[in-house]
Amino acid sequence: MNQFTFENRERTILIAFMILGVVCLGVTYLVDDAYHTRFWSNFLHNSVFVTGIGFLALFFLCASIIAFSGWHVVFKRVWEAYSQFIIVGLGLMIVVVAGLWMHSHHLYHWADPTAVESDPILKHKSSFLNPMTYTLMTILIVGVWYFFARKIRSLSLEEEEVSKFDFEIHKKKTRVWAAIFLPLAGFSSAAVIWQWVMSVDAHWYSTLFAWYCTISWFVTMLCVTVLTLIYLKGKGYYEQVTPDHLHDLGKYIFGFSIFWTYLWFSQYMLIWYGNIGEETIYFKMRREDYPVIFYANLVINFVLPFFILLRNDTKRKTGSMAFISVVLILGHWLDYFLMIKPGVMHTLHEMSGHGHSSADHAEEAHHTAADVSGHAGDAAAHGDQVAEALVGFTYPGLLELGTFLGFAALFAYIFLNHLSKAPLVPERDPYIDESLHHHVV
Amino acid sequence: MFGLYDDEEILLKAVKEARDKHLDIDNVYSPFPIHGLDPLLGLSESRLHQAGFVYGAIGTLTAFLFMTWVFTRDWPIIFGGKPYWSVPAFIPITFELTVLFASIGMVVTFYAVNGQGPGVTNPVLDDRITDDKFCLSFDVTDSDEGVDSLKAFLKESGASEIRTKEI
Repeated sequence: MNQFTFENRERTILIAFMILGVVCLGVTYLVDDAYHTRFWSNFLHNSVFVTGIGFLALFFLCASIIAFSGWHVVFKRVWEAYSQFIIVGLGLMIVVVAGLWMHSHHLYHWADPTAVESDPILKHKSSFLNPMTYTLMTILIVGVWYFFARKIRSLSLEEEEVSKFDFEIHKKKTRVWAAIFLPLAGFSSAAVIWQWVMSVDAHWYSTLFAWYCTISWFVTMLCVTVLTLIYLKGKGYYEQVTPDHLHDLGKYIFGFSIFWTYLWFSQYMLIWYGNIGEETIYFKMRREDYPVIFYANLVINFVLPFFILLRNDTKRKTGSMAFISVVLILGHWLDYFLMIKPGVMHTLHEMSGHGHSSADHAEEAHHTAADVSGHAGDAAAHGDQVAEALVGFTYPGLLELGTFLGFAALFAYIFLNHLSKAPLVPERDPYIDESLHHHVV
Repeated sequence: MFGLYDDEEILLKAVKEARDKHLDIDNVYSPFPIHGLDPLLGLSESRLHQAGFVYGAIGTLTAFLFMTWVFTRDWPIIFGGKPYWSVPAFIPITFELTVLFASIGMVVTFYAVNGQGPGVTNPVLDDRITDDKFCLSFDVTDSDEGVDSLKAFLKESGASEIRTKEI
């Protein structure tokens, strides 16, 4: 079976999950505080998470093309289908952008003009962190990603039309477009991550942050690939995909889980060593208010994949690979939870007048001019606040889980729909033979 | 006694036939690793990586416990206002020592298991097996009567050259 059919039963189930997601979002909106912080932060969290999967699929596909890699070709349609999700991701992010302009959410401290006015740090950053840049960057960058996703996909389909193996399209077009995309993707993904995720903690910054987020996306993308392949094989498709392909995916998951830990730790250790108030506040908030998730994050995303995937045979078995994939998808979802929620909570705190009022801030800023000590005071003031355990903020509740399932179903629906539009195994890719005879042991 | 082959495909076929006939293969030599040769020869998976894991774990413990002892018992010094027992600062060195122990341990084990090392001379059946020939060898020291049938087998399986050499 080389043609995937998207059965009605699958559509129904996925639509049911999407409805569940919408209902969960709706309920969150109703039970929320006046700023609907929980609703908006859930929306941002999941939108960023699923958009990244589509983007990383495209990025890795292009990287593989440039590296003359052949092993993945047999299932490259899956990644092409993932990358088509980027346009939906753009739609989701435009909702966040619209909310930003209509002041219907307060996810970003820098979006509040009065706060920026009285805050030297936000003022200093306002040339990058402002609604206009946010909007333009989001639309431009994700738009460019989608353009390349379409391009790579259409070239791959064009290749299918030729009567016999023809390297011309691959050499002259696919490789060129992929080569153009890689540097663009490398820089632009960092820019949108700064805007979407890092600026949630508007005062804080970290150079490593963009890579750390990207690798989180990457591991998730690989895990989603594993689950997709196992599912499709279970339905009788992709009999050409062997344990050898699974083995290579397993090696990538293993390696990049370690790389994720490396980046996480590099960021942590430098901040710990430097011990500068405006940097350490990031980890202070997370470690004290989120002790379980903070350490669970490391256990789930490093210790588990390290020990489970260390052996050869676990990387080749469907059961262990499916298990670790599910665990890692949830683990990296929690990772994003931990990136976004504490900062949003902090902003909410400021908005609702607790802790540090903007009047205080203005006074402080007055005394210390544009000096960082104003910020150190900020850190100290917030260090005192002990956040009570709050479902949806300090730990994900059932509503968060339902929302996540809804977004996951949306992603699955879109990519399965695209997958059904082309033959599963590309017959005319120059590297298809290498992929069909892929042996790793 | 050994046969030299011009191509690894012919060699693979010969190895398979020899296994089917239950001939006692002494060794196979090749200028490069051949895919699928190990299962044909019935070799079990190497346990070198398990040894590597143990060495790595020893490295982890050595580094971590040694630093713990030095910085809390033997010579406590305060660095940058950090506590004596500063785990994050130990992690990079722990990692490095894990890698060092695992790699050196595996190299030493590999050489020891294979009887390699400085001063060891390796008798080579034919110089060309490091270049463009593939070799299938049999030990015929004790079995004089099998020599002719082995010769016939090597000839039949496509060896371009059959020779006997005492090593």
